[in-house]
Amino acid sequence: MSTRLTLLLSLLVALALPVAGWQLVRQTEALLREGQERAQLGAAQALARAVAVEASLPPAGATYYLHRVPAPIVIDGSADDWSGLEASRSSDGRLAVTLADDGSAVHALIEVDDATRVRADAADPLGRRGDRIELALRDPRGLRQWRLANAAPGPINALDEHGAPLRGEWQETAGGYRVELRLPPIAADGSLGLVARDLREDGTEGALTLGAEPGSTLPILRADAARDQALAALAPDGARLRLVSSDGWVVGQAGALNTAPTLSTQAGGWRGLLYRLLLAPPAGAPGDFADDRARIDAPVVWQALSGVPASHVRASGASGSVVVSAAVPLPGGHGALLLEQSSDALLVLANRGLSTLVAATLATVLVAGLLLTGFAGVQGLRIRRLRNAAERALRPDGRLDAHLPHLAAHDDLGDLSRSFARLLGEVGAYTDYLRTLASKLSHELSTPLAIVRSSLDNLEHERLPSEARTYALRARAGADRLAGILRAMAEASRVERAIAGAEGEDFDLAALARGCAEAYRDLAAPRRVLLDLPAGPLAFHGAPDLIAQALDKLIDNARSFAPADGWIRFALAAEGEGVVLSVANNGPPLPARMQDRLFDSLVSVRDGVDAHHLGLGLYIVRLVAELHRGEARAQNLADGSGVVFSLHLGGMPRRPL
Amino acid sequence: MARTIAIVEDEPVIRANYADALKRLGFEVWTHGSRPEASRAFELRLPDLVLIDIGLADEPEGGFELCRELRSKAPQLPIIFLTARESDFDVISGLRLGADDYLTKDVSLPHLTARINTLFRRVDALRRPPSAEAQVLQGPLALAAERMRVTWNGTEVPLTVTEFWMVHTLVRHPGHVKNRDQLMRDAQVVVDDATITSHVKRIRKKFIAIDPAFDAIETVHGAGYRWKP
Repeated sequence: MSTRLTLLLSLLVALALPVAGWQLVRQTEALLREGQERAQLGAAQALARAVAVEASLPPAGATYYLHRVPAPIVIDGSADDWSGLEASRSSDGRLAVTLADDGSAVHALIEVDDATRVRADAADPLGRRGDRIELALRDPRGLRQWRLANAAPGPINALDEHGAPLRGEWQETAGGYRVELRLPPIAADGSLGLVARDLREDGTEGALTLGAEPGSTLPILRADAARDQALAALAPDGARLRLVSSDGWVVGQAGALNTAPTLSTQAGGWRGLLYRLLLAPPAGAPGDFADDRARIDAPVVWQALSGVPASHVRASGASGSVVVSAAVPLPGGHGALLLEQSSDALLVLANRGLSTLVAATLATVLVAGLLLTGFAGVQGLRIRRLRNAAERALRPDGRLDAHLPHLAAHDDLGDLSRSFARLLGEVGAYTDYLRTLASKLSHELSTPLAIVRSSLDNLEHERLPSEARTYALRARAGADRLAGILRAMAEASRVERAIAGAEGEDFDLAALARGCAEAYRDLAAPRRVLLDLPAGPLAFHGAPDLIAQALDKLIDNARSFAPADGWIRFALAAEGEGVVLSVANNGPPLPARMQDRLFDSLVSVRDGVDAHHLGLGLYIVRLVAELHRGEARAQNLADGSGVVFSLHLGGMPRRPL
Repeated sequence: MARTIAIVEDEPVIRANYADALKRLGFEVWTHGSRPEASRAFELRLPDLVLIDIGLADEPEGGFELCRELRSKAPQLPIIFLTARESDFDVISGLRLGADDYLTKDVSLPHLTARINTLFRRVDALRRPPSAEAQVLQGPLALAAERMRVTWNGTEVPLTVTEFWMVHTLVRHPGHVKNRDQLMRDAQVVVDDATITSHVKRIRKKFIAIDPAFDAIETVHGAGYRWKP
């Protein structure tokens, strides 16, 4: 795995820190919220006990609700005046009854779904055999009953047995009929009985009521100032208390929600938004709890009415704050108490100590992350620099160029760098030893060789038997061969030195090649020399002497491999930025195993014919090619007719003036 | 009277071989194995020619030292360095000290004797009055073959014997390309191409030292050199 990848992975681990921090803050927030809800439930329960004592409790079971409306209601059979008021409904929903007090009188709107209308007048003796409404009012003075029916839409005038008139309007609707009535005054503890009789087509009769047996009456609930006052005495500051009847009607209400801006609102702008997005636990929609609802239809209330305390958090409408509701059943089971309190959307922020802790944690995580990243980055950079230096240290020509970084550092990297430097130093010393071996060897051997040759020279002047002369000749041949080898070794090292000191110049490579080619024609005879040289000049920057010397070596090589009646092809061509010089001959193909090593020092593929050849010629060619930022290659010709040696040269780097 | 040649060489076998060969040619030969020994001998009497090895016993540069001493004593004494060393640096050091030639030890005895004879011929020629001498004239160049002197615009160019022969070969046929083999044969040395190249470079430098505009020796790549008429 590369260092970079490792670093990236470690950074990912470091990234887990902020995520863990975020989770922690969220958990804390959730815990705080839960604690708040629990506390509010406790408060609500305490309040509920007090309320049960102080306020008169609404009865259990189905009830009617008397709305209070500001505008007077006109008896006209239309439901327009009643919009927004909630009705009490029968369990199948076919009967809806709404009561409203506009200050002058109590009005009732009765809506019945009846697809099988059988119309009859109330006064008609047959009236008992049609659809009708039986209305009963019970108060301390007694029970009064009316029967309402109308054969056609229009006003009704019903009289009870005491002759009390009941004014109203009957209207047919799409699925039934609607009756709007003005009722006589009803005492606070009065009750109402209402049955809608539906004569079906088969002659049977159904009764629609609000849960009570036909003939019985149900209590009428209404907002009660005394109850409100009792609640107001209990309601905490900034909180709202609502007393809910067992079927959801609000029968008492006190206090108001505090809508003052909260702390997390003040942490406004994008930061507040970000906090809320990242941290705030989800809150319910505000709709079900609107302030002026006469009936609260929310799960939290139904749960409390079923006897289990429940709490709920909802958005308040104002950003940055929420409303926490706690609903508890009243002792005795007749209704529930709803305690609502406005709260900061982010309790974590509202809590000064905790917000400091969060900020400190975040800052610590950030600083730790930055430090880790920085440290890892610096170490990675240092390691990369060391690696690059180590890679550069061994130059392509085998020389060492060791400039390692961090040599003075006191850490592991410094140790590593120093180890590298030591190692490279030793490699360098050994390489130098090998490189100078040839020249040292030739120097050391030349003295004994001089002894042999001078002795042989002297021997020629002595009188020798002819047999002995043969041996002297052989000894001379051997000495000459040895001298040749030594000269080649010395030449290679001299060329190396020449290359080290070579300076580039601009010259016409084509002219040089043409000059060489002329000379090679004589040298190569009787082999044919084929030329493929450009006609025009070919500007090149390099060392002409050394290139000529390399060409000599290539021609020399070709000459020794091409058969006497063979050919040597000498070509020069531009190639991209540089040039390619090639010398081909129709000699035997190269053995595959040698192709890569041909240009190394002391490597030769000749077989015995010319045994004193050391393989330094092609090595010199390689050195010259490398001096000119190029390379030397040897390949068999594609058609198998021979071998081509090529010099790909890029030109010497120009020295800055 | 036989000419005397001093051989200063720390390798006894080579010393003896050279001495035998030179004696056979009729020279009187002194042999010395170290620099102090040679110095003492030269205090008493100077030979007609000295062959010096650069590394002498425990003195790696003893030959240079000896050459300096001799040159201060006898400016005209022919001195030949004969050594196993062949780096350009050593060659230049030796020649700067005023040696007349610099030969590596792979020179054959016939080649060596040819050098020695040439040097003696030059000494003789220098002693004779300059009048009756055959001169090759080529532009500003004047080449006196006997005395082995080369002048450029009348100023003497201090060439070694090897260098002189190379210039001589080139100038005899101006405009003709002389390849390395020819130069080598005429200079009576057996060296590799790189050595010929550095010889030619040194010759050019010596001319350029006298005349910065000198460019009469032209390189014909792949072929050799020629004297531009």
